Amino acid sequence: MKHLLTACMAGLAAMLVAAPAAADIKVGVIYDLTGAFAGGGSKAGSIGNKIAIDMINERGGVAGHKIVPFYADAQSKTDVAINEAERLLNDTKVDVVMGLFSSAQCVPISAKVDAAKKFMWLNICVATAVMKDKNLQYVFRAQVHSDQYGEASCQFVFDHAKAKFGKEAKDIKVAVIYEDGPYGSGIASTNEQKCKQLGLQLVHKEGYAATSGDLSALVTKLRRAQPDVILHTGYNPDITLFLRQAKESGLKWGALIGHGAGFAQIDKLYETFKGDVDYLYNVDPVAAQLLDAKTLAPGMGDLTAEMVKRYKAETGGSEVPTHASSGFNQAWIFFADVLPRAIKSHGGFDPEALRKAALETDIPVGGTIQGYGVKFYGPGTPLSGQSERSTPAIMQYVKGETKVVAPAAIKTADPVLPLPKGHAYAR
Amino acid sequence: MDCQLDIFFLEAILNGVLLAGLLALLALGLNLVFGVIDVVWICYAELVMIGMYAIFYAYTGGVPFPLAALLGILAVAATGALLHWVVIRPVLDQPPINQLLVTGGVLFFLQAVATMAFGIEFRSLGIRLGSTGFADMTFAWSRILAFVVALAGMLALWIFLSRTFLGTAIRAIAQDRQIMPLMGVDASRIYLVTSAVGGGLAGLGAVLMVLQYDIYPQIGLQFGPLIFMICVLGGLGSMAGGFVAAFLISQFIAVGGSCMATEWGYAVAFLFFMVAIFIRPQGLFGVRG
Repeated sequence: MKHLLTACMAGLAAMLVAAPAAADIKVGVIYDLTGAFAGGGSKAGSIGNKIAIDMINERGGVAGHKIVPFYADAQSKTDVAINEAERLLNDTKVDVVMGLFSSAQCVPISAKVDAAKKFMWLNICVATAVMKDKNLQYVFRAQVHSDQYGEASCQFVFDHAKAKFGKEAKDIKVAVIYEDGPYGSGIASTNEQKCKQLGLQLVHKEGYAATSGDLSALVTKLRRAQPDVILHTGYNPDITLFLRQAKESGLKWGALIGHGAGFAQIDKLYETFKGDVDYLYNVDPVAAQLLDAKTLAPGMGDLTAEMVKRYKAETGGSEVPTHASSGFNQAWIFFADVLPRAIKSHGGFDPEALRKAALETDIPVGGTIQGYGVKFYGPGTPLSGQSERSTPAIMQYVKGETKVVAPAAIKTADPVLPLPKGHAYAR
Repeated sequence: MDCQLDIFFLEAILNGVLLAGLLALLALGLNLVFGVIDVVWICYAELVMIGMYAIFYAYTGGVPFPLAALLGILAVAATGALLHWVVIRPVLDQPPINQLLVTGGVLFFLQAVATMAFGIEFRSLGIRLGSTGFADMTFAWSRILAFVVALAGMLALWIFLSRTFLGTAIRAIAQDRQIMPLMGVDASRIYLVTSAVGGGLAGLGAVLMVLQYDIYPQIGLQFGPLIFMICVLGGLGSMAGGFVAAFLISQFIAVGGSCMATEWGYAVAFLFFMVAIFIRPQGLFGVRG
């Protein structure tokens, strides 16, 4: 009996030693860590993404599988981003590609990855054009898309026309200016469509290259058009160049509403413009720490607090931009919801299993740290792979603090509109 | 195309003139180096970037702006001399394509070093000079200052080249690189001085740009191609040509951007450049061959 017990234990030990360890899950993470996009929010997004991976691994990985990230720098260049994606997929043979900040990079890469039937999870790029009418099968995005940005800002102006401007909507003059990449063009196109649909008066619409060294001609045209509201979509340095040249040229407005990217970097804008950027608006997914945790699912508040703590420790800064929340949130949704389901219900983490698991995602509103829910449009629909439950918020910067002013369900303050007298850009 | 001939159109033209001053100054340094040493510094705009960072750190470190500006000019002048001594001198006898590739390598090297050393953040001095206006037109003092200083810088260079012994030697070398050394002119020294002066002009450009633009490692990409285009249009090595080309290109950008979309202003400028080069491959003021 003693021998039998010893033999059994030896056998068990041998089995344990011989049993293959759960395979690592290789994840290619692409962001712009250098170049113009890096400071425009891509680096913040990558840090948020990294924090999510670190936290998942500290909790033992996903179903026993360790997440092994391979970080790549797209250098704010589309060709570099494509090369890095191909290297990660074909040479490193990652199981998933995630991240990406620039829509100009997301458009070609998502098409390539989908054609190769590999799995991709987009974290930050927002252009609707990335997904629209592409019928993507293996590319998913829980993030807000640009059509929602463009609609939200026009609706906001329309809703406050009478009460704040004291004018009928048809008398409100709106100008739309944008960087001419897929991101800016996408939002501007929706701006034009939605504002016209609401009866707002579109007095000027113009794109420019984000790398432009002079926007004085654009500023001059805006001075001529005299818009009440300027809807602006840009990165950096074009936003700071516009704000600087606008002030120097005496351009005035009632409200400037930005749409993410460079406008989300309020601490950077404050460094340059100080109080001149007070009362600036930004349409974006909300930075998680601005939400009332009581309105979210249990545990989301703690998750946000941990993310914020780690982000501050990593950067040494006091501000946690929206992009950090977006990078963290999308990654967390994938690792904590989609990936476990793929392994448990679909037998692994190959592209087919991940695709099936993603399509089964059903996170209700309030179920993520940024407040929105996640459910993807299915194959054959115009926005296949895009979440139908994402929603942007409209934020206003007031004396160094970010206030959520729309939608009504999560707002923390009433909007200040138009700019108060005495402000650098006020009429 | 929607040209409204009103006061705003005039403002656009004058803004083009102000932009031209800065671009002419930047083109001047590049042309000086090419005219004398016969090497194109593709990395010229990156030297400007180095100067902007030098001024930023000096100023935020407590140095008054005029002194910080002077330090920036000296820093870029020294960088220009170093660039010649370390990178250009060894390839002076190499084919032009090798020289071009070497300075192209320096461009990426400087961008990478700046990214690692200074980070990816956009920096700003936070100095705001305000603006002035008349007849419903408004102009930034930073642009007016840049225009005036750029013109003064060009005048100072002209005086240096035409009224000093060293300047005369530089012009002589520029006219004949083979004969002048035989007549006792130390070509190596002249090249080094020219590189320092070319760098100094980039430093002056940095002083003027730091009042108008954010500083980040890739800012050279905003201006590098434009400066190079201006130099080629004017005739590589021709300082007068660069000056005229800067004003032409600036007007295409400003007026084109005013009558059409902003991005069309640049497109029209580049179209004009291509047509001009088809007609005069040596540039407006260049000498064929």
